[in-house]
Amino acid sequence: MRHPTRWIALGVAVVVVVVGVVLATQVGDDPRAETQRSQLVGHAAPSFSVKPLEGGTLTRADLAGRTVIVNFWNTWCAPCRAELPDLKRFWARHRDDPSVAFVGIVRDDGESAVREYVAAEAIDWTIARDPAARAALDFGTRGQPETFAISPEGVIAGAQIGPSSVRDLEVMLDAARGEPR
Amino acid sequence: MSKAPWVLLAVVVAVALVWAAWPEGGRSARERARDLAAELRCPDCEGLSVADSSTSSAHAIRADLLRRFRDGESDDDIRQEYVDRFGESILLNPEGGGLGVLVWGLPVLVLVVGAGGLALALRRWRREPAMRATRADEELVARARAERVDAP
Amino acid sequence: MKASLGVFALALGASSSLLGIAVLARGLRRRDAHALVLGRRFAFGVLIAAILAAAVMEWALLSHDFSIRYVAENNARGTPLLFTVTGLWAALEGSILLWLLVLGGYLAFVAHKFRARASDPLVAWATLIGLVVALFFFALVLGPANPFKTLPVTPADGRGPNPLLQNHPLMAFHPPMLYLGYVGFTVPFMFGMAALATGRFGEGWLADTRRATLVAWVFLSAGIVLGAWWSYEVLGWGGYWAWDPVENASLLPWLTATAFIHSVIVQERRGMLRVWNLSLVIATFCLTILGTFLTRSGVINSVHSFTESDIGPWLLAFLGVVAAAGIGLIAWRGDALRAAGKIDSPISRESAFLANNLLFAGLAFVVLLGTVYPLLAEALQSRRLSVGEPYFDRMTTPIGLALLFLMAVAPALPWRTTSGDVLRRRLLVPAWAGGLTMLLAAALGARGITDVIAFGLAAFALAGIVRQFAVGIRARRDVQGERTLDALPRMIRANPRLYGGLVVHTGIVLIAVALAASSSYATKREVRLARGESAVVAGYRVTYLGRAVSATEQKRVVKARVRIEHGGSDLGVYAPSVNIFPGSPNAIGTPSVRTGLREDVYLTLVSAPSGDAAGRVTIGVAVNPMVVWLWIGGGVVVLGTALALVPGPRRRRVVAELPVEAREREPVLA
Repeated sequence: MRHPTRWIALGVAVVVVVVGVVLATQVGDDPRAETQRSQLVGHAAPSFSVKPLEGGTLTRADLAGRTVIVNFWNTWCAPCRAELPDLKRFWARHRDDPSVAFVGIVRDDGESAVREYVAAEAIDWTIARDPAARAALDFGTRGQPETFAISPEGVIAGAQIGPSSVRDLEVMLDAARGEPR
Repeated sequence: MSKAPWVLLAVVVAVALVWAAWPEGGRSARERARDLAAELRCPDCEGLSVADSSTSSAHAIRADLLRRFRDGESDDDIRQEYVDRFGESILLNPEGGGLGVLVWGLPVLVLVVGAGGLALALRRWRREPAMRATRADEELVARARAERVDAP
Repeated sequence: MKASLGVFALALGASSSLLGIAVLARGLRRRDAHALVLGRRFAFGVLIAAILAAAVMEWALLSHDFSIRYVAENNARGTPLLFTVTGLWAALEGSILLWLLVLGGYLAFVAHKFRARASDPLVAWATLIGLVVALFFFALVLGPANPFKTLPVTPADGRGPNPLLQNHPLMAFHPPMLYLGYVGFTVPFMFGMAALATGRFGEGWLADTRRATLVAWVFLSAGIVLGAWWSYEVLGWGGYWAWDPVENASLLPWLTATAFIHSVIVQERRGMLRVWNLSLVIATFCLTILGTFLTRSGVINSVHSFTESDIGPWLLAFLGVVAAAGIGLIAWRGDALRAAGKIDSPISRESAFLANNLLFAGLAFVVLLGTVYPLLAEALQSRRLSVGEPYFDRMTTPIGLALLFLMAVAPALPWRTTSGDVLRRRLLVPAWAGGLTMLLAAALGARGITDVIAFGLAAFALAGIVRQFAVGIRARRDVQGERTLDALPRMIRANPRLYGGLVVHTGIVLIAVALAASSSYATKREVRLARGESAVVAGYRVTYLGRAVSATEQKRVVKARVRIEHGGSDLGVYAPSVNIFPGSPNAIGTPSVRTGLREDVYLTLVSAPSGDAAGRVTIGVAVNPMVVWLWIGGGVVVLGTALALVPGPRRRRVVAELPVEAREREPVLA
């Protein structure tokens, strides 16, 4: 140890290099990438209880045995508005299939705004409100839009965070039905 | 100077600390919910805790925490439940196990080693003379001595 | 046209730096004094180019020239004048122009101040290193972050600045302050590296850069406080510091710079800690670059990352070069740097400074580790996790308390050594002030050991400062027969660094008390009120009077009018609002704050559903104690630093007598 300063400098240099390499590997990674996957895929779907606009209560038990697509949204959310045409096209294909149910759960919005919007856009799938945002919480949503596909057995087979295309929806639906694509 | 005022001061400080730390009964479900909310990241905003945020998710989570505590669930159970649903990043306090040793232990280690090093250096400085004589110094002294001897 | 003029200015700056580097390098190699005198002039070229580039950008912003992409993205015809001007630093590319402007200013200042010593290799090296830094930033704006990029089609209107950035006039001050601080640390870095390169590690470069460091430090301090204030007044969550990566990035260099400001005194007085001080200077500069990297490259999620771009690898490479050069030079010169000094006693001012440095370095380490830990976990184990407020609070509080304790004790410690008796005599009254404050705080209902300790130590430190002023004044009164009112300013003038420093400490104590009080004793509730209804929160009655909706093309604003009353007296009507921007996922709330010396009432409009038949709204009411003392404390810190910067008689005497330092300053060229 004739040159302690040199040894310390070497140690600091090693640490700096390690941290630098770590940082360098992260450049270009999207820190929001986590939002691309849901923790719930492969697990049992939470049992929700929501209030459809036409009145009454809708629970998961009511939909047992059907493949369910659950879409969380708000009228004021621009990406939700952007995905609406795709949702419409998707639902036009499957509206008449009794084994498929489609529920749009409003995450955080006023009832009158929702009614107005649903009427104006002629949305014909079930739109339900989520009192106290319980369902949104139980599905572990981080924002909107988020879409989940639940198999007839009640397992979440697919999840899409952010706007879904028709293709995304079809892939999720097939996964939920247990049909590999 | 007498040490009595300092002893008395120590007593005052001790009384104040005990007073401040005296437990006031168990914590209510509401307090526990508030404390845990500060440890959870609000899922639909960035960088804020559930306790600080006013988004709909934060509201829902606060209500959920309160309900769970009233149902008698433990902090750890609830944390685990949230990690299962939202992923590990929901926790603002990183977990201590595994790599977590790094983030919790390393600062303590650095401070302890630093303080130890400092204490050692101070002790060494106290024992050592301020400067050591170099060889040139020693030669100078030797020559001076020699000259002195040589002198009549 | 403006775009080409802007690019021309940047090219001018880059070539000016490049030429300056070449001339200075040649001069240094050939020991050519003329080249060195010529080389320093290029610093002014850098400043002129930076002024030109920033002026062109301002011109483009003010004339709404949407053919330039940066203008189209950060300005709109409807943007108010103030936020059109601040558009220069509303996004990454423009803020590098601001960076260059500030850097050019500092470089020109250095070149001007040392004009008589231009042929001194130390100054030449420093200028050269400053020009290298400038060259890097010019390369950034000429390459990956060009603010003068044009659009193929000129849009009719621009997008306007980020909604969060056009909500409060503080936006006009906070970023420039921060940049004046951040960039200012280039000056001590330049001189530190120059000292290493020339091998003149004496105290000369320290004396030369002391004021520049202090100026940079006070700007950064003010910038951080203003940022906290902005966050409090605009973001609407009721807090001012969230340990967000961007906030941490501004805090990191502040911590190491604060350590440096203290340890530098030891080197000046005792000639010790040379390696350590150089390391701190280099670390501070590296941390400013690291902070810019973390916040601008998009590796970290943050509320403040308003823009992201692909300059990440550039910044990382530059950081690597700087760190390698710094560490390499210290390793190469390290053992020649070691001073012969030693510390005689653990109870002395020197060892208190050492402890201070250990704590500040530890604090910086905690903040750095907590900020990059998510990246480490991601890289090593592919885990996504967060490190947030609870972690930082738990780790930094003990260190903060220890620093508060040092602040109370250290100014009473003499240099070299002391007897316990002297210390006990000096500290008895302040310590009792602290002890009694703890008792009082506990009696008044303060719960939690850390808070009570914080209040006690704050009182201890404050009483110590008051004692020091009182002793100084009494001495002047008794010895020189001055009146108290005359003695105070004369005493400060006689030793501005000491008394300025004590004023800064006062500001820090105020901030510490405000932090402890506001984080532990805030009351926060949400109340749902119909028109005319009221609720009482922590003694304040809030009454919802009604709402007002205004809509423009750019946003829809819903304001709730709320009356605040306390103890029967009307405190006025406040209007928290929500701004809804089309295309923005979440509505942005703007709080309304009733500021008071004792506590603030902080109102937010949580929700105002338009369809609610009863017209009910949810209003967030927070009562935050002592928050205003954070801003006052910040002001006191600035005031104290300004006092410390006043040239004192002691400094003039040093210059007049030209002691040891003068020998060192003589050019070694001949």
